[in-house]
Amino acid sequence: MSFRWKHAEAPARPIDHSGERADPASARFSEQLIAMLPKLRRFARGLAGNAAGADDLVQSACERALARAHQFEEGTRFDSWMFRIVQTIWIDQLRAREVRKEDGDVAEERLGTDEPVRRIEARLALSEIRLAVENLPPDQRATLMLVTVEGLSYKEAAVVAGVPVGTIMSRLARARVALQQQLDAGGGVRRSAKNAEA
Amino acid sequence: MPKHSDEALVAYLDGELDGAERHHVEAWLEADPAVRDRLAALAQSADLVRSAYADIVNEPVPPRLIAAASGAGRAAQAAPQEAEILVLKRQSRTAAALPYRRWQVGLAAAAGLFGVVFGGAGTYFGMGLFNPASPAAETRLAAVAANNSWLDNAAGYYKLTVNAGDNMLIDVPATSDTSEALQKISQSLPQQVRLPDLKPWGLSFRGARLVVVDGRPAAQLVYITDNKAIGPLTLVIGASKQPDIPRTFERRQDVNLLYWRHQGRAYALAGQTDIGWLWGIANDVAWQLDAI
Repeated sequence: MSFRWKHAEAPARPIDHSGERADPASARFSEQLIAMLPKLRRFARGLAGNAAGADDLVQSACERALARAHQFEEGTRFDSWMFRIVQTIWIDQLRAREVRKEDGDVAEERLGTDEPVRRIEARLALSEIRLAVENLPPDQRATLMLVTVEGLSYKEAAVVAGVPVGTIMSRLARARVALQQQLDAGGGVRRSAKNAEA
Repeated sequence: MPKHSDEALVAYLDGELDGAERHHVEAWLEADPAVRDRLAALAQSADLVRSAYADIVNEPVPPRLIAAASGAGRAAQAAPQEAEILVLKRQSRTAAALPYRRWQVGLAAAAGLFGVVFGGAGTYFGMGLFNPASPAAETRLAAVAANNSWLDNAAGYYKLTVNAGDNMLIDVPATSDTSEALQKISQSLPQQVRLPDLKPWGLSFRGARLVVVDGRPAAQLVYITDNKAIGPLTLVIGASKQPDIPRTFERRQDVNLLYWRHQGRAYALAGQTDIGWLWGIANDVAWQLDAI
């Protein structure tokens, strides 16, 4: 039988069935982190170049952030702090990959295992742009993502990357010019993107 | 930075030049049409890059990331006693099994964790990698584990939605014709979703999101209100193979949840409102959806 409960019949106060309350500061920290996840995934996608690698990166960054939550200074930008953690882990991964290559591993790109996937993606204008971003050197790629995609100021991006503002300026200019050259060379990308938008 | 350079043009586009530098670039642009073309091309390529990454923030966030951001992994590490209970490798049936009582204690303690520790455990159970004391216990424990994971995800998505504020992530926004919105979201789900009318509670339907809860697609309906004592609220509706259960209260950090299962569907109403309000609204939802 279906029936409606009257509000007055329900308990009047919240009941904590877990028997314990989470530390409020820790809960706030997690809340900020969860709210940041979409942007962190986007930033990481720009760095890693693929969804699975990006999510692994974000997961590692979340774990590191929680372990070092005490190092975050209240009043400073949480997003910049998190971007920095993501970028640091990514750079560590790149370095580790370089070491593996020196040890004799054949690089994935040389094996060409994902070439068919890349070719399919390249048919789509926006994916082609992502590929162009992926072809940029790591420092330029990270700067482009921070400033052009995530909207950080040069000063904020400099804090994240741990470099002077002038370095951000030159990396960004090189990235934007290289990107434009790649897109021009790709032929029809901009036209395709316009068609896609239309 | 050279006055006439790509660096100057890019910084000009990004609004990063001071007054004098900006005037230099504007004078340069005024004097040279080729520089104007170059500036336009650089601006266009920046727009394309933004477009290429714009949709990623609207993708459903994988449950494993919500669990990681909630500290599930750390909580598990900080509670080695609970972690010990999960034997994540194949055991022979003849091996001495842990006493069931110990399992119960571990599950009860870990149930308070805001994470998917047990979501993972549920998978291990399903794969036969774990061997508790009896098949019946295995079934019960797997059900508890799956349920915990489901609720962790529902609470995580609530926080994600609420913390986004005005930039709330909505796949299908509410329109005057709500049936159209629900039809769109239902296309990606194994079942048709119906929309409870919560206007009597002062709650307006804001839109719907397609989310992944415990590895399966589900609909998250978002309701908002000016009354901060009640809303916002989210209602997650997903498929379930578990037996029916009545409305049950759970809490994840500062999120109150009322969840229940009815005829192959699982429901979780999440909010930060008083349990009394939540209970009343959950009953209304269940009554409207014939889910009791």
